[in-house]
Amino acid sequence: MNQPGDINFDTLKPEEFERYLPELFANGDGKVSKDPRLQKFLARHPDCAALVSDLETIAETAKSLFAPVGDPSDKVWSNIQSKLREESALSSESDLSSEQNGEEQLREID
Amino acid sequence: MSCEGQIMTQAPPAKPTPGLFKRNPPIAGEAEAIEAAKNGDAEAFSKLYTLHKRRVYTLCLRMLGNVSEAEDMTQEAFLHLFRKLGSFRGESAFSTWLHRLTVNLVLMQLRKKGLNLVSLEETINPSEEDAPKRDFGSRDPVLTGSVDRVALERAVASLPPGYRMVFVLHDVEGFEHNEIASMLDCSTGNSKSQLHKARLRLRELLRHPSESPLPEVTSEVTK
Repeated sequence: MNQPGDINFDTLKPEEFERYLPELFANGDGKVSKDPRLQKFLARHPDCAALVSDLETIAETAKSLFAPVGDPSDKVWSNIQSKLREESALSSESDLSSEQNGEEQLREID
Repeated sequence: MSCEGQIMTQAPPAKPTPGLFKRNPPIAGEAEAIEAAKNGDAEAFSKLYTLHKRRVYTLCLRMLGNVSEAEDMTQEAFLHLFRKLGSFRGESAFSTWLHRLTVNLVLMQLRKKGLNLVSLEETINPSEEDAPKRDFGSRDPVLTGSVDRVALERAVASLPPGYRMVFVLHDVEGFEHNEIASMLDCSTGNSKSQLHKARLRLRELLRHPSESPLPEVTSEVTK
């Protein structure tokens, strides 16, 4: 991964900019378009500026996808309940069986 | 990817994640419900389900892109929650903890499925042909500063699993690159690079919507 610390912003070319872009987005608040070091470069290269603007728009809109889309169907909860009942029954059986084994062992000891 | 075994035993993070705390503020009555559910109170567990089912289901749906699998995974997540609730110590927000637990289960599920595992690997380490094309100098339409939420939902659902995973975890769910790297067993640089490629792919899909296949998730998401 190319590090932004290596960048010479005065001689930066679009191809180099593309290589640095993941790191530029990951640093700071992700607002590459507001980075003062890049203002001249973006003004010189409108396609790069358009790319940055689009990627920022996508990242910003993605935040709105955090809101839940809807509930799972009712069968999810009924499946959970039956699985838990099954597990609980199995666990009780196993407890009962170990208690019985324990009692038998005690009887043998007596 | 060799962390399948780790996922089963990996405890959710003890250190609070500020970003997620902001997005997952504590819910009234939740702490009491957690304590009661830990002691086997079925009604309290039902309350936890009611409080968190939407968020868990939405996360599963976004990561899996399939309603039926998302419901199965929601079920698994809550069953897992029931079994592991005793280990929740309250060092992070409960929703953050449940979130991490769900993400780990989904990742484990994807790794279990051979086909998805391959595509996840491919997109974590894509070949040059798979990577989004450079388009400097092109005169394609730009997004004019706004993207329709439904169109983005559709585009995200049609991303390859590896790209979708990193994009959803970072841009939607708010995980940091170091957390994603740890979850996906890749480097932080790889996570940054995959996120960037995912956004580039989304840009292409949004500028040329006809190239985006209609995924199953769309009908559910746009309800």
